[in-house]
Parts: sequence; C-alpha cells; structure tokens
Amino acid sequence: MKMLRFIAGAAALAVVCVQFSAKAAAADKTLTIGFTASETGALNVDSMNQLHGFELWRDQVNAAGGIKAGGQHYKVKLVYYDDQSKAARVQQLYSRLIVQDGADFLFSPYSSGLTATAAIISEQYGKVMLTTGAAEDKTYTLGNKGLFQIYTPATHYLSAAMRLIKEKDPKARIAIAYSDDGFSKAVATAASAEAKALGETVAFDEAYAPNTTDFGPIINKIIAAKGDVVVGGGHYADGATLARQIFDQKVPLRFISLLVAPDSDKFATLGAAAEGVTVPSQWEPSAAYKPDFGPTGAAFAAAYKAKFGSDAPYHAAGGYAAGLLLQHAIETAGSTDSAKVTAALNATDATIFFGHLKFATDAGHHGLQVGHDMVLAQWQKKGGSLVKEVIWPKDAQTSPVLYPIR
Amino acid sequence: MRREDSKTGMLRRPMPWLIAAVVAAFALLPAATGDVGLRETLFLAALAIVLASNLNLMIGYTGYVNFGNVIFFGLGGYFGVWLATGHGWSLYPAALAAGLLVSAVALLFGAGILRLRGAYFALATIGVNEAVSAVVTNMDAWGGSTGMYIPLDAYQPLGGPRQALWIVYFLMIAVMAVSLLLSWGIRRSRFGLGLFAIREDEDAALVMGVNPARFKAVIYSTSAFLPAVAGALFFFKNGVIQPDQAFDLTFSTEAIVMLMLGGQGTVTGAALGAFIYEYFRGYLLTSPLFSNFQLMVAGALLLVIVLFVPGGLVGWMIDRWPRLRGAIE
Repeated sequence: MKMLRFIAGAAALAVVCVQFSAKAAAADKTLTIGFTASETGALNVDSMNQLHGFELWRDQVNAAGGIKAGGQHYKVKLVYYDDQSKAARVQQLYSRLIVQDGADFLFSPYSSGLTATAAIISEQYGKVMLTTGAAEDKTYTLGNKGLFQIYTPATHYLSAAMRLIKEKDPKARIAIAYSDDGFSKAVATAASAEAKALGETVAFDEAYAPNTTDFGPIINKIIAAKGDVVVGGGHYADGATLARQIFDQKVPLRFISLLVAPDSDKFATLGAAAEGVTVPSQWEPSAAYKPDFGPTGAAFAAAYKAKFGSDAPYHAAGGYAAGLLLQHAIETAGSTDSAKVTAALNATDATIFFGHLKFATDAGHHGLQVGHDMVLAQWQKKGGSLVKEVIWPKDAQTSPVLYPIR
Repeated sequence: MRREDSKTGMLRRPMPWLIAAVVAAFALLPAATGDVGLRETLFLAALAIVLASNLNLMIGYTGYVNFGNVIFFGLGGYFGVWLATGHGWSLYPAALAAGLLVSAVALLFGAGILRLRGAYFALATIGVNEAVSAVVTNMDAWGGSTGMYIPLDAYQPLGGPRQALWIVYFLMIAVMAVSLLLSWGIRRSRFGLGLFAIREDEDAALVMGVNPARFKAVIYSTSAFLPAVAGALFFFKNGVIQPDQAFDLTFSTEAIVMLMLGGQGTVTGAALGAFIYEYFRGYLLTSPLFSNFQLMVAGALLLVIVLFVPGGLVGWMIDRWPRLRGAIE
C-alpha cells in the first residue's frame, strides 16, 4: 500500500513537473520583430507616430498572453534602431536585425525610399516585411515576394477627391499644385491621370519647391487658369501656408483637397482658412468600419489616447494595423514559418478598424495594397468650432459634404 | 643582404604595406567569417574612407574647402544606376563610366568656381550642390523627385542580390585601395608638392612656376572620379536613388568632420578619421546605452577634438612621438 501511494505520488509530481516545465517553455517563447524608425531627421514626426502604433499593439498582445500559433504562445519583442531618416545605414541595420538580433519578422522603415533599400536585405533572407508609410507603388513592382503594404498606394491618395468632384461638380476646372518631392509628385501625377480618365478638366498642373513659403505666384497662376478647385500640397508647412494664402487672397474656390497638412489637429489654428479644406487620410478615428477581428476604431482611439495622451494620427493607426495583421496571419497560419505566414497574408481579404485590406498577388505587383480605400475628411464648423468630419467613402461618412466651400 | 635592404625599405616607407594590410583586413575578415553584419559595417567604413580621402586632396593638399563633394558621389550614383538599369550596362563599365563622366563634369564646374578663393569658394560649392540637385529633381529621365528604383532582376547578372552585395562590397574595397594609393602617390609626387605650394600661398606658388589654375582643375576633377565610382556602387546596392539621398549635404560635412578628426593633409589622417568616425557613429546608433542621445555624444566628442586636438589624431600622434613623422604620411 505504501509502495502504491509512493508510485501515485511520484506520478502526480511528475505530471505537475511536466506541466510546469511545459508552461515555463511556453512562457519563454518570444517573437522578435525588427525595424528601423526615424527617431531623428526629417521623417521623425510621422515615423514616431508609427512607432507608437507598434508599441500599443505589442503591449495589448502581450497583456492578452501573446500571439497563439501551433499550440504555443509567443510574446512580442520589438527591436529597432534609429535610421536617422537616411538610407545610408538602412541595409546595415536590417542585416543586424536579421543576423544578430534574430528578427523573425520585419516592419519597414518609414518612407518608400528607405523601404526599397531595406527590402534588398529582407528578400535575401526570405523575411516577411509589412510596410507602413511606404505608399509609392514603385516599391511593389521590383520583384519582392515578402513585402506587404498596409497603406493605400500613393496613386490612389486623391482618388476619392476626384470622384467626389466628378459627382458634385463635373464641369469644375481642376488646379493641381504640389510639392516637388517623390511622394507628392507620385500622388499628383496619378491624380492628374485619373481626372482626365474621369473626363474632368485639368486647368493647371505644376509643382512648387518643397520649402516654398510665398505661394503668390502659384496662386496667381491658378486664378489665371480659372481654377475652380485646388488639389495637391505636400507636407505640413507648405500645405498649411498654401491654404492660408489662398484664403487671404480670397480666391473663389469651390473645393480644396491637400495632402497631409489638414490631417493635423494644428490645422484648425488657421481658423476660417481651414474651413472646408479636405484631406485624404489613411484612417480617421470617426470612420466606422465593422472589423472582422481586432478592436473597433473607437476602441483603438481610446486605448491610444489613454497611453499617449493625444488623438491617434493615421500613421499610428497604420503601425497598429501592421502588427494586428501580422498577428492574424501568424494565427491563421498556425505557425511562425515565413513561407506559411506569407501564404496567409497573400490570402488576406478582411476588414479591420483601419479599413478593408487585401494584397495583390501577381508577380508584377506583389504585396501592393488593393483593398484599402482612403478616407476623405473635411474641416467643418460645428457648434462654433472646427471639427474634422469624414465625408468619403459614403459608408464611413460622419457628415454630409460641404460643397462649395465658399 | 637584399633581404635586409627590403626590410629597411619597408620600415622607411611603411605606407604601401600599411595600405595593403588595411585592404587585406577589409577584404578577408567578412569573407572568412561570412559575417554579413561586419560586411555592412566595413562597407560604410570603406565608403567613408573613399569620400574623406578624396576630399583630403582638395582640403588637405590644396587648401580649398569643398562643401559640395557630395555632388560627385550623387551624380556618380545617378549615372551608374541609369546606365546599369536603364540601359542594361554591366555594373563594372557603368561604374567606371560614371567616374569618367563626373570627372568631366567637375572640370566644367571647376572652370567656373575655382577662380574663387577661401570662403567664397566654399560657398560656391554649396551653390553648385543645390543647383545640381535642383536640375536632377526636374529630370524626368532620372525619375525626377521620385528617383530611380532598381528591380531585383538587375542583380541577376551578378548572381542574384545575395551574391551581388558581396561583389559590390569587394568593388568598394578596391575603390578604397585605389583612393589610398592615389592619395599617397600624389603626396609623394611633384604634382603633390605643387598642390602644397598652392595651399601655403597661391600667389607665391605662381611666382615659383606652379600653374595654380591647371593644378586646381586637375585635382578637382581627380577628386571627383573615385567618389563617383563609389556613388555608383553604393546606390546600385542601395536599390533606389533619390535626389534627397544623393545630394545630402550631410555627407560632405561629415567627410570634413572625418578629416578634422583624423588630421587633414595626410593619407593616414583622412583614413583613420573616416574609419573611427564611421565606426563610432554606427556603435552609438545601435548601443542600448547611447542610442537615445547618440547625436549629443558625437557632437560633444567633436567639440573636444576641435578644441584640444586641432591637428587631429595624426597631428596629436606626431606631436607626442615626433619619430612617427617620417613613417605616417
């Protein structure tokens, strides 16, 4: 009897030990995700917002027990370095992330140029790299197999504006004035082609130097060309100045849509000059998508505000969406194997808080985002103060379009 | 007896041996270990040595501060990528052609700005950089402001991207070796003495029979060749070239800092300064301890060097051990 009790006790102890060691082993599993962020340099603001999105996702995933795949729980570890907003060190740092830090998956640097540079390294090691802030279409025509774009491509940034103009004012004379940098030029060139394809009239199409502060000559040309609507812009400083000087010169425009600048809450400080101005945005907190998985837009926005004390910009939402999509692909694949996760991402056709996501799978455009639509937001006066309302697409609309704006 | 002579020669003129040892270490260490991380670090160090050594020909040898030497690097990158991807050239002739074309362009620019001296010349070089950047930004054949992207297929003639990166690495080491030998050769030549004379007093050099206009034009054009070849190699490996990357003035100012750190006017000083600066910046960026304030640490160290070691590391070494003067060139 004593012997029986001893054997039973030993067996029970063995079971407990096995379970404990299994739990310990499970808890030890870590998934390393590597990337560079522009902690310094010209891309700093947008890149840091994106980093905040990654961090919020990591914290929420780890708090919920990690990513579940193949009967294992993986805690997420982010490893990143400062690329200084320059290409020079990107390949060195991505080599280090893969070889030395053992990154299982990668996020892209911020911007298309840096992403194309990083992809030369990631592709060699067969790594999956989710790209945010790399909107130029060219990046996805180079033959890469592991890149997956979260953002709507640059060539579709102003699509919503062009379709809205077509619906509201098909005879409007469109003036396209844009900053002469890679991203803005890609957007403006595509917008011009789309306007012509829709049968609209492009009355003016010209670039200005990115550091322009006096838009008088450009505005005079727009007036001379009898432009009714203005689309274009570039980044915050030039976009905000252009909007203010258009207002100061009392140009009788019926519609304005500018890149990036009006997305910032700071834009409201322009007062009456901001009213009616629209911005194509990858995401807005008020956009009401019904997610297939992950948080709702409102839940994400609230969690972001609680952690960082400010409203979530779309770059942060893009960062969070990249993490969420990677997590979903790993869980769907039931594995952390790059080939299986690539297959799961190729098959993705889902809606999350960020919008609908689907990737091109043909060799010529592999990884290009083909499911996501831009949101068009407009500054409108509500209750005496300016607020940003979603006016396009119609299923995400929070307020009717204000047209004409003046 | 001949053996003894050769030993004495090696001790008296250690530079070629030193250069050979450095080049061998750069080439063999990553190849023997297969360490890709080390290869990437040494690639950037070799690039820094190429840029600093060739800038040294203008600043250290001739006394002309050139803030715009990055245009040679950037234009070389554009010509190289354009020929290699747009016209189907092999990388080797494309990089060589880039060097020759940029040298010719430098002769053209030099004819205008080398008439200026001192601060006026330095300012003019910044102006040339801005002008070239603006022209390239508006050149549709080179992709304008969006630049040129290199498809993965372009690496196939070199055996695919993985092998291409190794080949480009060894080519960059070769360019570094030629840069160091060129600096050493010029320093020991009659032409080099003419440049030193211009540096000390251009008018006196003219009286002594040196033709400053011709000497300056030749050295300006020469100092463009290897940075342009390096630019072609760098941007081919980089996978994309855009105006803001190619004509970033930071490259030029960093190369000047490298010269200040190592000591301008010597082959060793330029190379040592470039290697230490590049390695140090790389370390600070990836160090868990310093990465958050790497710019502050780098700035503080630079300040210390400028204030307390104005002759750079080589100047400090020669002050401390005067017998090194003959050995370090």
